[in-house]
Amino acid sequence: MSSKKVDLITLDIIRDSLLAIGEEMFIAVARTSKSPIIYETLDFASGITDKKGRLLTQGNGACGFLGMLTSLVHSVIEKYTEKGNLKEGDLIICNDPYGGGGSHLQDVGLVLPVFIDGELFGYCVNKCHWSELGGKDPGYAVDSTEIYQEGLQFPCLKLFEEGKINETIVEIIRSNVRLPDMSIGDMWAQISGLRTGQKRLIEICGKYGTRTVDQAIERLIQNSAEFSRSQVGQIPDGIYTASGMMDKDIMGNGPFPIQVKVTIEGDQMYVDFTGSAPQTKSPINVAYDGLVSAIRSVFLACTDSSQNVNDGVFENLHIKAEKGSIFNAIRPAAVSCYYESMQYAQDLIWQAMLPVVEKGKLTAGHFITVGAYSISGTHSVTGETFVDVGPTLGGWGAGFDRDGDSAQFCTGDGETYNIPAEVLEAKFGYRVTEYSLNTTDAGAGEHRGGYGIILGHEALNDDMTFSGTYGRFEYPAWGFEGGKEGAPSGFDFLLKDGTHVPLQGTGSKIQMHKGDVARMVTGTGGGYGNPLARPAEKVAMDVKNEYVSINAAEKIYGVLLEPETFAILGVTDERKKFSEKVS
Amino acid sequence: MRVATDIGGTFTDIVYIDEQGKVCVNKSHTTPPDFEQGVLNVIQKCDISPEEVKDLSHGTTVVINALTERTGAKTGLITTKGFRDILEIGRGNRPDLFNFNFKKPKPFVPRYLRLEVEERMDYQGNELIALKEEDIKTCVDTFKKEGVEAIAIVFLHSYINAEHEKQAKALVEKLMPGIAVTASHEVSKEWREYERTTTAVLNSYVKPSAKTYIDNLYNKLEEMDIKCPKYIMQSNGGTTTFENAKEVPINMVESGPVAGIYGSAMLGEMLGENKVIAFDIGGTTAKCSLVDGGEVKTTTEYKIEKNARFPGYPIRVPVVDIVEIGNGGGSIAWIDNTNSLRVGPKSAGALPGPVAYQKGGTEPTTTDANLIAGRLSPKNFDMDVDMEKVRGAIQEKVGDVYGINTEEAAMGIIRVANSNMLNALKLVSISKGYDPREFALVAFGGGGPMHAAALAKELNIKKVIIPLAASVFSAWGMLMTDLRSDDIQTYRVKLDNPDFDAINAEWEGLEEKACQDNARKGISREDVYFQHYLDMRYIGQDHTVKVKVPNDPMSAENISEFIEAFHREHEQNYSFRLDESGVEIVNIHLASFGRIEKTPIKEAEILPYSLEEAIKEIRPVIFEGDGTLDTKVYDREKMSPGMKLEGPAIIEEVSSSAVIYPGMKASVDKFGDILIETGV
Repeated sequence: MSSKKVDLITLDIIRDSLLAIGEEMFIAVARTSKSPIIYETLDFASGITDKKGRLLTQGNGACGFLGMLTSLVHSVIEKYTEKGNLKEGDLIICNDPYGGGGSHLQDVGLVLPVFIDGELFGYCVNKCHWSELGGKDPGYAVDSTEIYQEGLQFPCLKLFEEGKINETIVEIIRSNVRLPDMSIGDMWAQISGLRTGQKRLIEICGKYGTRTVDQAIERLIQNSAEFSRSQVGQIPDGIYTASGMMDKDIMGNGPFPIQVKVTIEGDQMYVDFTGSAPQTKSPINVAYDGLVSAIRSVFLACTDSSQNVNDGVFENLHIKAEKGSIFNAIRPAAVSCYYESMQYAQDLIWQAMLPVVEKGKLTAGHFITVGAYSISGTHSVTGETFVDVGPTLGGWGAGFDRDGDSAQFCTGDGETYNIPAEVLEAKFGYRVTEYSLNTTDAGAGEHRGGYGIILGHEALNDDMTFSGTYGRFEYPAWGFEGGKEGAPSGFDFLLKDGTHVPLQGTGSKIQMHKGDVARMVTGTGGGYGNPLARPAEKVAMDVKNEYVSINAAEKIYGVLLEPETFAILGVTDERKKFSEKVS
Repeated sequence: MRVATDIGGTFTDIVYIDEQGKVCVNKSHTTPPDFEQGVLNVIQKCDISPEEVKDLSHGTTVVINALTERTGAKTGLITTKGFRDILEIGRGNRPDLFNFNFKKPKPFVPRYLRLEVEERMDYQGNELIALKEEDIKTCVDTFKKEGVEAIAIVFLHSYINAEHEKQAKALVEKLMPGIAVTASHEVSKEWREYERTTTAVLNSYVKPSAKTYIDNLYNKLEEMDIKCPKYIMQSNGGTTTFENAKEVPINMVESGPVAGIYGSAMLGEMLGENKVIAFDIGGTTAKCSLVDGGEVKTTTEYKIEKNARFPGYPIRVPVVDIVEIGNGGGSIAWIDNTNSLRVGPKSAGALPGPVAYQKGGTEPTTTDANLIAGRLSPKNFDMDVDMEKVRGAIQEKVGDVYGINTEEAAMGIIRVANSNMLNALKLVSISKGYDPREFALVAFGGGGPMHAAALAKELNIKKVIIPLAASVFSAWGMLMTDLRSDDIQTYRVKLDNPDFDAINAEWEGLEEKACQDNARKGISREDVYFQHYLDMRYIGQDHTVKVKVPNDPMSAENISEFIEAFHREHEQNYSFRLDESGVEIVNIHLASFGRIEKTPIKEAEILPYSLEEAIKEIRPVIFEGDGTLDTKVYDREKMSPGMKLEGPAIIEEVSSSAVIYPGMKASVDKFGDILIETGV
């Protein structure tokens, strides 16, 4: 056998093993975490990089962390490795949004360098959302004006030095966070995941030799880069633009004009946000590394979303945003709700590229928002303090051949699970009054947008506050090719005295009283195609299923139905005219 | 005589054991859609006198088929007001992270058949709103009008207080006599409403077809004068009666596959190995499961149709913990878009099948690669094999892409397939903190014996066991089972200062109920035995660890044993323990077993052939690392206990062959199993 050729298959096998390690590291964290935002919503990511800090594989979790693992490792390389100050047994903790983090302080990154026979081989890295990290508010702040209000900062510190834990750092965490057991438990879950990865890397290198593994890594990155170039090469050359408005922030600043110019030049993609609003004195800014994550995700969606993620894939993606803008914020800008502007940035590219990329890769606009909420108080039965933080489900846009999905998390999340009502009630002591689809008549189209949800929380004592930041409260999801725009997202209150406090997009620490209900009400995605083209049988079925009102069937879809049996009685003149025009 | 039959995709297998302990096997074609016919056929093929059959066990795919082919009943759902969309909301997860045109699982019940009623419990089981019976009547009216054939009832917090579900079910049964109904607490008493809802809904969805199937089978067996007790294999590794299976058919979702896992545990016990990894390679998948201390592990985190990109549908009933990957004999080898060789998960299946089958398959599969490598012989197929076509496909689809010859390409396919299977075997062992060196590998299914030795060597496993009935091993496993039922009850207790009397009373209640259930199945009290498990966690965690605990009552004196068992299990699985952290119970889990009398298996006969006479041929076989070697091929049917041989060697039987590498030793044990010493 010719040894050179067979080596290629060995390299493929090593590649498979590296991917399996990423998966195993991910499972290890999910299964050992103590906080619901990690174990239920999987708001974390883990991966492996080579010694240059190039991401080799990333375990499933939140989409939004794509790219942030790379920058985490790079910050370690700059601060320690390059200065010859990185030792075997060190483990670094970092959450600096402007340097290595990219998101907000609550997403704590840990980096474990892996040494083989005393030589640096690569890094295991993960990043998890800690439910509590101190700062001015439980969970995280939605109305901070500078980063110092948002929690503890770990500017790339050694949590372990040569295998020995720095108890001082642990003590500082313990005394600065509201739920120390949970946060420190999460820290250990992360460490356990990293050590799993370390062990496996050492095994692989022992089996094949570090040089062969290095070769496999080069092949992995180069093949991915090549494939990525071929994918972008299939998109027609040109300049594609989109612009829009971001909702007002919680302080009342804005709305904020935003825009993007995407240039496809051969097999390269250039993204430029120049002209978007400057950073604002509220926490909706995103730092550059966060922006990169969002753009990388939509880049995959536009090319091949199923490929394995490594840094080779993104070599032909170039991102520009002005320093000091809302998409490239600089210290000390507040960033705790960074994900909102990150989602808007991604949505702009989505909108610009939908008409250009192959059909079936993108849908009409989705509800966009993470829908982050924070409910805190004391448990009505046990009297324990609780903080319930998480994202909210909403409606996705329709595709060229399908209705949008209902009740999914936004693109920034991923293998993220909602928390069951039964668990919410037991764990936090409030009552869930309903968990249903928010079936609005918005998002109509030949294919309908999917629906958001209504999730009601009734306070069972006088000690409960609600905070939330919901984007697209003012500017709902966009429709495509005649499809209608979606419905807004936000939250409202049904007070015990019968008052209905109307839908709002943002609010901080709103005091609730026993019997008051806070409801998350999220938006419908955009429609695709003219609603008058939706087959009448489908409209009838929609009405029977109570997705679409009988009124909307007539007014929007032009279909007349018998209200009891939902039999089709006829169509409106408008629909007739439309059909004639099309045929 | 005791009989077990197992329906597979292509064949329906039978294994039976007579009063002397002699084991016989046979196969017959599976007969869709009237699967029971295949069972009758295979019984008639054998020398079985009906009146001598003492009991009959059966594994069936009827439930999984109805689910994956969506041929179940038109099902309606009754649920708590405000929560009818739970089934459509699901959990909101999107494993296909970067696909912005993702499609989530479609609910099994459309919205107009998901109806709400006034009722409410709190999380402690206190009634907040009484069940409004009027609402149930309204639901039933709608269901009648819509022609609903099955109904599921799911109320919030029924895992802790099922009163409303019971009330509603009684009323539904009164209003729609004979309709298939499932109240969620009957199938799952664990919290998480979406999971409990899908479980109840899917149970109802398959109930009518399962009932028809079981009744048909029962009647035809009775007509054949097989009037003994009849049992059906469940996913939990034990059997149940036909009557019970009709009530909770969802428990049969993995009916067949788990029997092989259970069989591995039992075979291990017979051979003095209580730590084994069961490894089953079929046509489209490879399955593995770890057995420690003779105990088959179960989980309630099972999902159908789940894969790396699709969330699937959860079914919260105990299923033997199996890792399954899309790597079987029919798995297709292909080059991905980054020019890497991949094998599976796409499979050529039974049709068109591998290129070798000559039924129109053009994509090279693992089976084709094993033919080129000489591990399989074209002469050992029950059809004509065109080796030129096989060579052509492998050369064109793999060899040419890599610039290597056909043999190298075939070995590439085998190595990548092995690498996939190795990762699966690691998931059940190393990833869970087990050292594979302490385990024996039991390999079965058509492909298990072919790949096992190489994988064992990679994992440093010393011994591979290839059972006598390797290709019908699931049916063999069924002969070894007892009746089993699992009662898992969410019961949250912090262990810092628990009420021991309350916990012990809970256990007693479950045990008493199990004894009564067994009595109804014809099992007397002295033949019932138990195993206690607790699903435990550190306070603040969500996911639990299943801990095997003593059956003794819990007390201040022995509580530390329970807690220590948890710490150990947690450390085993997740590499750390938190001694200072509080511990709580989330579920108590009673496994109860109804003992079935078993005949000890007789030792295999010595056949009138010497080892030399068992050699069929000497043919070239390619081994990784050693190249092509002239290899002796033995006929398994001519081998007797006590025979020993050294690798390189192949031991062939119908539709399967065991590969023994250079440096390895193989022998036939007293029961006729092949033992391979890997020499690691």
